[in-house]
Amino acid sequence: MQQQSIFVLFLVLAGIATIVFTYIFISSKKAAAEEKGMSNPLKKRFWFSLILFVILCIFITATIPKSPYYLFADETPARVIHVSAIQFQFILSEKAIDPENPSGESHIELPINELVEFRVTSLDVNHGFALYDSSNRLITQVQAMPGYVNRLRYKFKDPGEYKILCLEYCGMAHQVMRSSFMVN
Amino acid sequence: MASIKLNKITSVWIISVLLLFIVSIVLGILMRLNQGEVISQSPITFYSNMTTHGLTMIGIWFVAGMAAVNYIMERYVKTSYTVNVLALVLTVIGILMFWASTFIGHFHSAWTFLYPLPFKEMGSETWATLMFLGSLTVLGIGWLIWSISLMTQILKKYSIPQALAWQHLRKNPTVETPPFILISMITLIGVIACLLAAVVLLVLFYAEYFSNGNFVNDALLMKNLTYFFGHTIANEMLYLGLAVIYELFSEVSGRPKWKTTWYVALAWNCTLVFILTAFFHHLYMDFVQPQGFQIIGQLASYFASLPAAGVTVFSIFIAVYRTRIKWSLTNLLFFIGVIGWVIGGLAAVIDSTISNNIVLHNTLWVPAHFHTYNAMGNVLFSLGFFYWFSIQFSDKTKVKKSTTLTLALLLIGGIGFLLAFYIGGAESIPRRYSIYPSELSIGASLATIGAAFASIYFIAILIFFFNISKRCLKILFSSS
Ligand code: HEM
Ligand SMILES: [Cu+2]
Repeated sequence: MQQQSIFVLFLVLAGIATIVFTYIFISSKKAAAEEKGMSNPLKKRFWFSLILFVILCIFITATIPKSPYYLFADETPARVIHVSAIQFQFILSEKAIDPENPSGESHIELPINELVEFRVTSLDVNHGFALYDSSNRLITQVQAMPGYVNRLRYKFKDPGEYKILCLEYCGMAHQVMRSSFMVN
Repeated sequence: MASIKLNKITSVWIISVLLLFIVSIVLGILMRLNQGEVISQSPITFYSNMTTHGLTMIGIWFVAGMAAVNYIMERYVKTSYTVNVLALVLTVIGILMFWASTFIGHFHSAWTFLYPLPFKEMGSETWATLMFLGSLTVLGIGWLIWSISLMTQILKKYSIPQALAWQHLRKNPTVETPPFILISMITLIGVIACLLAAVVLLVLFYAEYFSNGNFVNDALLMKNLTYFFGHTIANEMLYLGLAVIYELFSEVSGRPKWKTTWYVALAWNCTLVFILTAFFHHLYMDFVQPQGFQIIGQLASYFASLPAAGVTVFSIFIAVYRTRIKWSLTNLLFFIGVIGWVIGGLAAVIDSTISNNIVLHNTLWVPAHFHTYNAMGNVLFSLGFFYWFSIQFSDKTKVKKSTTLTLALLLIGGIGFLLAFYIGGAESIPRRYSIYPSELSIGASLATIGAAFASIYFIAILIFFFNISKRCLKILFSSS
């Protein structure tokens, strides 16, 4: 799972940073008065920066193509679901939703392994449209912004109940704003 | 050198910041306790406390940095005492108005007050939104005058290219720009830019408020403005702290002063560009935002780490590695603060990767990383300065046993408090939830653990508060 690897990566990096700083601190504590510190600091600084630069570039080239904007961009969705967020509920519908008189379907079923597109907007403030799988893991999300329609594409790989939670703070009942749908 | 007047007003700043810090931490611990279901507040109480906590924290650590920079700047150029006092008065009035809007009016749009939520809040007093906008206006004006005044004083002595140390990019510069002046200048440009964005934002809010529905804002534009302001000010606070470190680290360690070199000049000029464009990462999940901005967001967020690590952090390495230096509480706090800043930065770079952000955006990972470089970074930078300031008239510099204990409490409490946030983020727990849904009940357990560790951190802060304020009060009421 992506979150798990992110967390492990973070712990490893934070651990390395802590070790380096501790090592440097101890070297100062142990240093004799006449010790001269780092030899060739300019050269070391250059290599340190260059290596960091290369690592950053590698990560950039590896991650940017995986950005959600490019996922399934040239495929045609098998299903389109319209979503209107409103304090404090989500309205989901197969048909376009009339902002003056918003209504949707209470039960939505989506196909497995087929491309689904959610067209997400808001009728009042900003909301978040976040999908959680049946093991309560956040799998994807997009913002619901008044006046704009964000298109979120996703292929569900597992059947089951998926939950929608609001992930943009929208006021006093933000924490209970939710919905769900089935995938099979 | 600092006049008596400047010493006194700096003491007032320090005591006020620490007092407000204590109140804000209590609100923070209450939030974690509520999320852990140890106590039970109404959602409106929770969210107005969250708003108070967020903006008060941003405000106090910003002014703490400004007061420190103002104090040290007096070594190089004359600064205006009147403006310093004016900034203090406006900050106090602004905070009082803001607290009235949240504590009495139940304003609860979070510290980012994302348009159009302040106009569509339920359950708060009708006057609360206007009071909140008014408080921001007062704070913004005070801080804008302060930063423009400091920048003007720099520019009376240095030309713009000199203040930006451009002559150091060439061989054999004739004029030397001290690193402190360079970093202050770069930071003040960013501060002024983001405060001007706040002015535009506020004008747009007022325009809609007073137009009786004839004028409606564009939500995407407002979000861009909000984060240009919010992200930038939250980051510039740290750079104010770094300016102080560039000046004081060598001094308190008994080492030669740091000099501006070509790479220091280059690094800070690059930083200016990156910091003004990194805010785009707050809009990654708005797919209607032009894609070029999204990519700029990731590039700027990534490359911002290069000058920070290659120049600032590496300079700390060089200053300390195998060098016998005088360790005192001041440089210890600076050193630990830099570790917190680096670790928070690592978590930030991970989150600023668009393909990671899709599962981290608005989860507890976000408060996790920014609390790392605030509570364990910037706060320590400022505490280091506060401590240095408060003891400069006495000669005790040795680290006492009890101080080591306080530092240990701060570290243990801080790390536990932050880990609870990080694990929450990895467990997909949303941020800004007053309580968690039953499926995410692990969020509640983590919150309780977080509250317990935060209380340990709090004890350490109380000890610092008593020690530092005692001495600051002495400075304040001494006649010489
Ligand atoms: C031990 C000390 C602290 C505690 C216990 C604490 C606790 C909290 C908690 C529980 C939240 C809400 C998290 C959520 O979204 O669910 C929060 C948010 C926040 N905290 Fe802290 N915090 C502390 C220190 C700081 C410091 C030093 C800063 C300095 C800048 C800070 C700035 C903020 C900001 C800006 C927010 C966001 C508020 C919002 O979402 O509108 N906090 N804090
Ligand atoms: Cu919400």
